[in-house]
Amino acid sequence: MRSAVYLTSSVSGVTVAQVMALVPTSIVAALVDPVRYPALLVAALLTAVFWDAIFAYLRKRNAGFHGITTALIVTVLVPADLALWQLVLTLSLGVILGELIFGGRGFGFLGPAVVAVSLLVFSFPEVQLANGSQALALATLPGALLLFFFGLVSWRVILGTFVGVFALAALSGESVDVVAITTILAFSLIFLICDPTAAAVTNPGRWLHGLLAGGLIVLFSGGSDMTTEAIVFAALTASIFAPLIDHLIILLHARRWRNAHA
Amino acid sequence: MGHHKIRHGHWPSCSPAPVQAVGDTKVVSKVAVVGADFPQLRPTLKVSLQDQVAAGQVLFTDRKHPQIAHVSPVAGTVVDIEYGPRRTLSAFVIERDPNEVLVHETAPIDDNTEASIRRTLLDRGMWPAFRTRPFGRTPTPESKPVAIFVTATQKTASAPDPHVVLEGRLPAFDKGVAVLTELTEGTVHVCQSKEEPLCQAADRVNVVVFSGTAAAGLPSTHVDRLYPVQSGGQVWTIGYQDVAAIGHLFQTGQYSADRVVSITGAMAKAPKLVRTTLGASLSDVLAGEFAPNARPVFLSGDALTGVEASFLGRFHDQITLNERPAAPAERARRTRFNSISRALIPKTALERALAPRILPVPFMRALSVGDSEAARRLGCLALVEEDLAVLSRLCTSGADYGVLLRHVLDDLMEDAA
Repeated sequence: MRSAVYLTSSVSGVTVAQVMALVPTSIVAALVDPVRYPALLVAALLTAVFWDAIFAYLRKRNAGFHGITTALIVTVLVPADLALWQLVLTLSLGVILGELIFGGRGFGFLGPAVVAVSLLVFSFPEVQLANGSQALALATLPGALLLFFFGLVSWRVILGTFVGVFALAALSGESVDVVAITTILAFSLIFLICDPTAAAVTNPGRWLHGLLAGGLIVLFSGGSDMTTEAIVFAALTASIFAPLIDHLIILLHARRWRNAHA
Repeated sequence: MGHHKIRHGHWPSCSPAPVQAVGDTKVVSKVAVVGADFPQLRPTLKVSLQDQVAAGQVLFTDRKHPQIAHVSPVAGTVVDIEYGPRRTLSAFVIERDPNEVLVHETAPIDDNTEASIRRTLLDRGMWPAFRTRPFGRTPTPESKPVAIFVTATQKTASAPDPHVVLEGRLPAFDKGVAVLTELTEGTVHVCQSKEEPLCQAADRVNVVVFSGTAAAGLPSTHVDRLYPVQSGGQVWTIGYQDVAAIGHLFQTGQYSADRVVSITGAMAKAPKLVRTTLGASLSDVLAGEFAPNARPVFLSGDALTGVEASFLGRFHDQITLNERPAAPAERARRTRFNSISRALIPKTALERALAPRILPVPFMRALSVGDSEAARRLGCLALVEEDLAVLSRLCTSGADYGVLLRHVLDDLMEDAA
């Protein structure tokens, strides 16, 4: 337990934990397409590490290796037949705009993987993202447990998202298939919506963040069939609103002192 | 009797628990009044180097508030007066006279009026035992607290148990609490860890039990639950041994510098409680308490918040013997690996690290950019350095949030003045 505390009390330790959590899902993705996936993975890793190194050099700092997690997440989400230049281009923009211009991991408010995949879908409408499979959902589970143990995903966000999805789906009178929804949602929920640097950072805020993301997923899907595109956009929108949610929570929290001794 | 169960603020204690019985009395050769306990205190000396002083004799007063006297814990000779930056006090060292004879006036002191009580506490050196909340500093002589918190909780499992320490001194403690009620128009909260009350609950004396995590022993937690100071007002906190000393002073007219401390830590031969003096030299207290060939670090305070020191801190009741940290070369190597980024990753463990009701991550962000206004809005007035030690350990940024908090509090204190 003490070594667990020690591991995640440095940013590199957090990266190590997240990479460990992503290993099973990458294996599943590799098994689906053993020919194309390695090429995508190598291209993505090189791109992410390249930009990490460039920014570290320009800022005269030690290079982090956090780009690895971004590359691992993105390669699971993109279709196997994606052209390499499209991957390199959108991943570069995602890593730079989502993370590096803010000063690196933990200084920004967006997840670089979410930004990269959103840009991919915006820029190339013909690209269809890989839909979550049962194997991928199962492979997410050990990683999710690991991250939960290290406190890098919040159960409030997870539960909030499910409540949001089910509530809005039920409101719109659709039939709700729990297993199907969980299958599609699992990977993106854990690695995109629950990303600790992109989610809200107060406990009530985490609930609201999850609810918002869940509601937006149903809204963006426009029907009972959830698509990965809708989940990615919902994650992006929710993380843009996360600082605002936190700010409102802070204002509410500060009100308590005003009439503490009334 | 109120009972508060604290769920947050857990930190596993890594020091062994001492035998909870006051053992031998450690007679020390040197004691010191250390400036680190009273930052920015500039002394006006009342004695000079090589002077003979009696126990309880005034050594110096605060230049800003000449009424506040600091007194000598023992009889002896002034051997060293060290200054820090800007003529602040660094250390005032007294060599104890081995043939000390107790010549004290032994009449009870008049405690009829508030003015006489204040004057006695100020003149006889008990005033510096109080600390204000917000800010955690010595109160000004005129200030009136809206409540006083007696910290009679056992801070960690390795700290002395107040019920054991106060055994046989309960009348003095009772008297001390009665004196405190004269200083405030509000309530005196006696916060303790065990059910059995240390003093009689009275009209304005409230005995409260705090149990649960490690944070249940911290005065910030007590203040947060009973009288949150963020909405204005100033409360004072004081340790239980000082309350007993105040009672003793008013009952007998004698200044008591007795302090029961626990000796713990990984390197302590036999963790135990000993009786010694305020500001005692740690190497004297610890002689024979560790293996002969070991070279431990002496921390005044517990393993989490303690600081390496030569003398016992004014507000500490624990001495921790730890292993010497890694050699500089190895530390540098380890830091190089860890200090790739100073970012703050909002882990969920941070939410459970503080017992006072504060939103930790926004608060830590406000501290790290030094935004004192935001920090005040988020409730920094409730805290002092010791509360944030857990956050500093957990956080990925490697920042010392205690230091950052002090910068912000200094800012706010200047604004308030």
